[in-house]
Amino acid sequence: MPILNDLLAQAVFLAALPAVAGVFVTATLLVVSRDWRLNTIALALQYFFVTLLMTQVTRVEMAAVKALIGWVICLVFYLTEQQARAPARLDQSEGTLSLRNWFLARLEGWRHQGISARAAFSFMAALLVGVTVYVSSSAMPLPQLSQSLTMVCYLLAGLGIVLLGLSQDPLRVGVGLLMFLSGFDLFYVALEPSLVVTGFLGAISFVIALGTAYLKAAQLAASGEERAP
Amino acid sequence: MIAGLLLFLVLPLMVGGVVYALRRWGTLSSLLSIGTTLVLGTVILVLPLGRTVELWGRQIVMGGTVSFLGRELILEEVDRIAVAFLYLTASGIFLLAWQMSPRTLLFPVGLGMLSLFSGSLLVRPLIYAVLLVEIAIAVSVFALQVEGCPSARGALHYVAFSLLAMPGLLVIHWLMDRYALTPDNTVLLDTGAVLLFFSFALLMGSIPFHMWMPSVASDSEPLASAFVFTVNCGAIWFLLLAFLETYPDLSAAVRFAPFASGAGLAMVGVGGLMAASQRHLGRLMGYGALIDSGVALIALGIGSQRGLALALLCLLVRPFGLTLMAAGLRGLARECGHDLTLGTVRGLARRAPWSTCAFLLGGVSTAGLPVTAGFAGRWALYRVMGVSGLTSVLAMMLASLGLMIGVWRALHVLLAYSESPDEGAEEAKRETTERWPRAVVVLLAVAASVAVGLIPQVLAPTATRLAGFYTFFGR
Repeated sequence: MPILNDLLAQAVFLAALPAVAGVFVTATLLVVSRDWRLNTIALALQYFFVTLLMTQVTRVEMAAVKALIGWVICLVFYLTEQQARAPARLDQSEGTLSLRNWFLARLEGWRHQGISARAAFSFMAALLVGVTVYVSSSAMPLPQLSQSLTMVCYLLAGLGIVLLGLSQDPLRVGVGLLMFLSGFDLFYVALEPSLVVTGFLGAISFVIALGTAYLKAAQLAASGEERAP
Repeated sequence: MIAGLLLFLVLPLMVGGVVYALRRWGTLSSLLSIGTTLVLGTVILVLPLGRTVELWGRQIVMGGTVSFLGRELILEEVDRIAVAFLYLTASGIFLLAWQMSPRTLLFPVGLGMLSLFSGSLLVRPLIYAVLLVEIAIAVSVFALQVEGCPSARGALHYVAFSLLAMPGLLVIHWLMDRYALTPDNTVLLDTGAVLLFFSFALLMGSIPFHMWMPSVASDSEPLASAFVFTVNCGAIWFLLLAFLETYPDLSAAVRFAPFASGAGLAMVGVGGLMAASQRHLGRLMGYGALIDSGVALIALGIGSQRGLALALLCLLVRPFGLTLMAAGLRGLARECGHDLTLGTVRGLARRAPWSTCAFLLGGVSTAGLPVTAGFAGRWALYRVMGVSGLTSVLAMMLASLGLMIGVWRALHVLLAYSESPDEGAEEAKRETTERWPRAVVVLLAVAASVAVGLIPQVLAPTATRLAGFYTFFGR
């Protein structure tokens, strides 16, 4: 862990406005986008930014533990989604999975189809939550936290709930729950900087990730059975 | 020498691992789970607190304080009954699951959850209890998901609503610590009270946060749903009582009794209305659970020691109705491929008579009708509330009627012949698929429910004794 600690210590200069902006961008992306690769990257980045912000209220070592748990969760989601897409990929005749091809396909899709109504609605919802959070962070500041951290806590919790409300897919619901939990974690670590509590909260996050991945796998297995003659 | 209370944390986990490995041999894993929960549930009731006892060549001491991973675990008389209730309820559910779905993940997952719930009842301070309960709820996802069913809505709703409750409960601890230092700052107390109501409303499925209850009941494995409605909800009730007992300022300053009554009435009203109009048997059970939770809250809302005893009696008799109902649903689901809408269960009573019997008697008990366990709690509550609480009594009776209408409609469809004459003749010829071991287990469960209904003195003194350990109403 010393390497991770050193890395975090070097990146601490980002732990102010850039990290707040990073959390806002990644959280909005998670609400709006349905692309699992993009979402996994956004979630991993979000854990990085939240960890940086956490260094303002707790020890770097403890924040590093949170980052590690978050990245393991991203790995779980990545592997689950990859397994879920495996049958679809086998159906494709060409191997069009390089990053460049994927990005070009995305651009092409946006150019021809524009932004979907669902994505536009999700973006508007995220924007509304953002405005509400901006207003309420000064009206109802959280104890022991600066205004920017209060804003991040409210934003993560708010967008997490939005994601819960807008999604049926187990993994997206899982991401919503984890975002909500990240927001609370950032607040609670300032109130109760205990290693045991950190461990328990990490365990909850991890079990939620495993649980939602299991539900996704079960769903896929069931739909596979339905498709089979 | 073994600290007895550690057995309740470690042993279920170990057996859960073994049971998971033995999943292929359904009967073996079921019997192992039943045996473990039954033995642990009995041991904690029978062994005296604070005295060393020799058991199978080993010295065991129950009670006292034990340090585990740097936290204090304390076993008191009140925890003893609570832990026994959780274990014995689980053993009943496992017994029914042995016959209804012996390869379910409920056995290993349920054992793991029991370990976590036991920890939550024993650990101090309460923030760790909240965290353990949340982990247990998150773990329950694995048992709730039905194999081969594409819908995961029930499990997701349950975990989402429960997780939203966690922050409030954790922050209460901090608020009350601050309030102890600055007693003039009543804002801390008010905020704590709001968080307490909100969090437990989410956890107990109070209106308008009740959506997870019918979802869990309709989209999940029926016996795992019964586990959630009885064991999980039982642990939540004991957590609520622990909060009220631990933070005397909170329970003294806040008039939670009217809130509990109001929430209970809303649950009973909505549950009764929705149950009467249900076309899905699983959702019917969910609304039954909602009504039952509402009744317990109304009892708590009386705001006295007697009211608390009645609430606890409702909690103790709840498993007799809901687990029977769930067992019936599981048996019917085997026959109709997990789609438990009225259209698909038509005429199933002939193929699955024991499951139908379990569903019917479970429904009757959950509705609180005479000669069943549910009646014991309801009748006592009606008598205590009497004329002064006539509105509440009427609401509860109407809710029971609503649930009975739902059960009656289901029974009518289950007993019906197919509308087509050919299919009807075919159905009449079809033999039952249920064998005698299932019949014996269902009859045992029905007999237990009827016995408690006829002789409520079996459980009533335990509820009164349990209520006596909580002093927040007497302050």
